[in-house]
Amino acid sequence: MSIKTATPDQTLDTLGRVCPYPLLLTKKALEKLASGQTLKVLCDAPASAEDSIPRYAEKNNMGFEAVKLEDKGYWELYIKKG
Amino acid sequence: MVSTLVFIVTGLLIGAAFGYVLQRGRFCVNSAYREILFQDYTMLRAYLLAVAVTMIGANLIEDMGWLQQHANEDGVMVANELYRQGFAPFANIIGGFIFGMGIVLAGGCGSGILYRVGEGNLAYVLAVFGFFFGIAVTKFGFLKPVYDTLINYQVSVGEDMVPTLNNIIGVNKWLVIAVIAAPIFYFVYTGKPFQKAKKGYSWSMAGLLVGIIAVAAFWFSDYCTGRARGLSFTGPVREFFLAIFFGDAQAAEAETMKILGVSISWSALYVLAVPIGAFISGKFLKEVKLKVPPADELFKVLLGGFIMGVGAQIGGGCNIGHSLTGVSTLAVSSWVANLFIILGNWTMVYFMLIRPMRDMDI
Repeated sequence: MSIKTATPDQTLDTLGRVCPYPLLLTKKALEKLASGQTLKVLCDAPASAEDSIPRYAEKNNMGFEAVKLEDKGYWELYIKKG
Repeated sequence: MVSTLVFIVTGLLIGAAFGYVLQRGRFCVNSAYREILFQDYTMLRAYLLAVAVTMIGANLIEDMGWLQQHANEDGVMVANELYRQGFAPFANIIGGFIFGMGIVLAGGCGSGILYRVGEGNLAYVLAVFGFFFGIAVTKFGFLKPVYDTLINYQVSVGEDMVPTLNNIIGVNKWLVIAVIAAPIFYFVYTGKPFQKAKKGYSWSMAGLLVGIIAVAAFWFSDYCTGRARGLSFTGPVREFFLAIFFGDAQAAEAETMKILGVSISWSALYVLAVPIGAFISGKFLKEVKLKVPPADELFKVLLGGFIMGVGAQIGGGCNIGHSLTGVSTLAVSSWVANLFIILGNWTMVYFMLIRPMRDMDI
């Protein structure tokens, strides 16, 4: 099942935050989650949404999916803790 | 002297191309340095690739005699050289360190804060204002005595030669370039470059294009102003705002033109165009949105921009002027400043990001 269709265990809003806070807040939120839980992150910093956060998830063997909401100008990122 | 049209168009084009590539490639020297601490070398590879390309390209156009000619003191026509900054050890070290701390607070480096204005985050507008404010108080205002004292102590090779990595050890320039570039290319290669990115540019494409634009900037700055100043942001941001505030960029006469009664430098034009290029790229990718962070973060970013400005003016440049353009000319000043930019960056990352994160882990 796709990560993004499941109900997220937590939603983190990083809209407007400057680099590198979206990544840091995401890391912090993930630390508090248990294995197998899902975090949904709202992010409008392009470099964080498409670069640093996915890379962090990949390196830590976490599931990652992203939806770019082009009309709203931000991303919904879904990260499943491994 | 080139025509006003060429002067304006090339300045704006170089800036727009740079902003476009930075936005699309998410190129950021601040993250390149920061992520070393977290064992992620992707952005570092992009940055180093840009340095290697700029170093080879810029020195090539210099040695091929592709820069303009000028008469030397004996009246003989000689080709221009790349602009290399004099070595002011105290200024380079202290300024570099301060600048390195500032970019962490501001959430972006000299080029980063400019291009992100084009993405619509108002925080970066404040960062740019803070940056100019810091530059201005250091160059003209209450920090001027500090600046003058630090910049006053200069070290040269022989009578008046600017120290470079090659002339202090007395070897051929290309030997030094080969010794630096070869490991960089190997390091870049181990990161598996030029795989297709999902969106935008891959890190390697971003690094390559940044390098090519930096080389082009050397040539165009020489072509338009008679001085191969290359790409930098500290002086140009200052000149841009001075031109707006006072109608005079206060740059060397050869580097300026009077446009609608305003004396503006070629470099100030590309400063104006960087956010425009980033805006165009962001529009295509549908990533431009007006946004604003919480108040405490806005304040931090403004303060960070100010600290960046103080550091950059004292140290003689930012992460582009020193860390890309300057190091490519092999000027010792830029290598020293760049080292201390990295140390300043790491110091601030520790106090602002690593320590608070650790404390929250419990």
